[in-house]
Amino acid sequence: MRRFSFLFALALAYIPSVLAQTAGKPAAVPNIPRTAEGKPDFSGIYQWPTYLPGDEHGKSNATTFDRKYFAPLKPGGEAFLEPRTGDPRHDEPRDFCMPAGFPGGILSGNAMQFFQTKTHLIMVHEFQRMTRIIPLDGRPHREGLEPMFYGDPVGHWEGDTLVIETTNFRRWALDDFYYTNPKEFRMHSDAFRTIEKIRWKSKGALSYDLTVDDPKIFTRPWSQEFEILAKPEWESAGIYEYECEENNRCPGGKCQGK
Amino acid sequence: MPCLRTSFALRLSFVVLAMAAFSGSLLAHHSFAAEFDDQKPVKMTGTIQRVEWQNPHIWFYLDVKNSDGSTTTWGFAGGAPGQLMRRGITKDQLKIGATVVVEGFRSKDGTNNASGGRLTYPDGRQVLTAGSQDRVPPATTTKP
Repeated sequence: MRRFSFLFALALAYIPSVLAQTAGKPAAVPNIPRTAEGKPDFSGIYQWPTYLPGDEHGKSNATTFDRKYFAPLKPGGEAFLEPRTGDPRHDEPRDFCMPAGFPGGILSGNAMQFFQTKTHLIMVHEFQRMTRIIPLDGRPHREGLEPMFYGDPVGHWEGDTLVIETTNFRRWALDDFYYTNPKEFRMHSDAFRTIEKIRWKSKGALSYDLTVDDPKIFTRPWSQEFEILAKPEWESAGIYEYECEENNRCPGGKCQGK
Repeated sequence: MPCLRTSFALRLSFVVLAMAAFSGSLLAHHSFAAEFDDQKPVKMTGTIQRVEWQNPHIWFYLDVKNSDGSTTTWGFAGGAPGQLMRRGITKDQLKIGATVVVEGFRSKDGTNNASGGRLTYPDGRQVLTAGSQDRVPPATTTKP
């Protein structure tokens, strides 16, 4: 009887994880930081999103997407992959201090800091001091805006996962992969939309799942999961200033010495 | 002076670790591909004339003696200040007036500019001034 009770208790203990897996939801992580409202708290300083084991690394320090996750291109979607032209205004607009855009900016190899309130998550990235102000209060996307480099994000909670949808992008570089393969300059379209899913996956590490939805380019949305490591040891130094125009050597796309 | 020695050893260890971590990286996130020719490695000895510890990339300038006795000032681009500082490399590690060897890649436009990937002091101490994504020349390079 005692043995039966033990096995019964063991079976009961497994039910939640089995249910979670069945529902496709990640198992809850115990003892994560939480806000006064009981939501997961992402406030803190972090490394930029980095690769999971087994994923292809680009040849720069910035994280890039692994092509194995791409959905097939649509007919007409070939414009997504275009070669460098030799014109820095096309090939590397950041060379003359144009913005990296999203998600290229968040994938750049610099520190970032998150500030979370009941109504907003603020992401500040050291590269170009990229700032994303993400409402969490249920408001809809803004209307009537011109297409943007960083898009218009809104977030909501699904259990302990923060889901951020960003829309209203202009056509711009998806990531830094052109430094790995100059013939693969990845340009998303103006129909681009992203879904980010952020959750604590373990103590000191966030799961960062990024969905690319570009119906002018791909036959379906596709996703890649990255990892964001907390870096409390960077708290004292904080985010360094990054004022690109301070010593811009390529004004107007024309690089020059000094 | 044990504290100073410890501090120097720690810094040196950090730089060596940083070099090990980043020496395999290729092109820059920012300006390398547009500005510098990775087929033209340079290695020059000179004295540090001035340092611009500024974004988006630091620049430092070296007075290099030519074979005819004249002096040419060469400019070298490094990483972003924030990236370097987080790797433990600070402005005071580039001493004005110090004689150093700098290795990098020459500017595409033919001016006296180059990327400055690695800086070596006469005592062998090295400072990896490259951006974390800049290419660092192999150990044996030639003067242009």
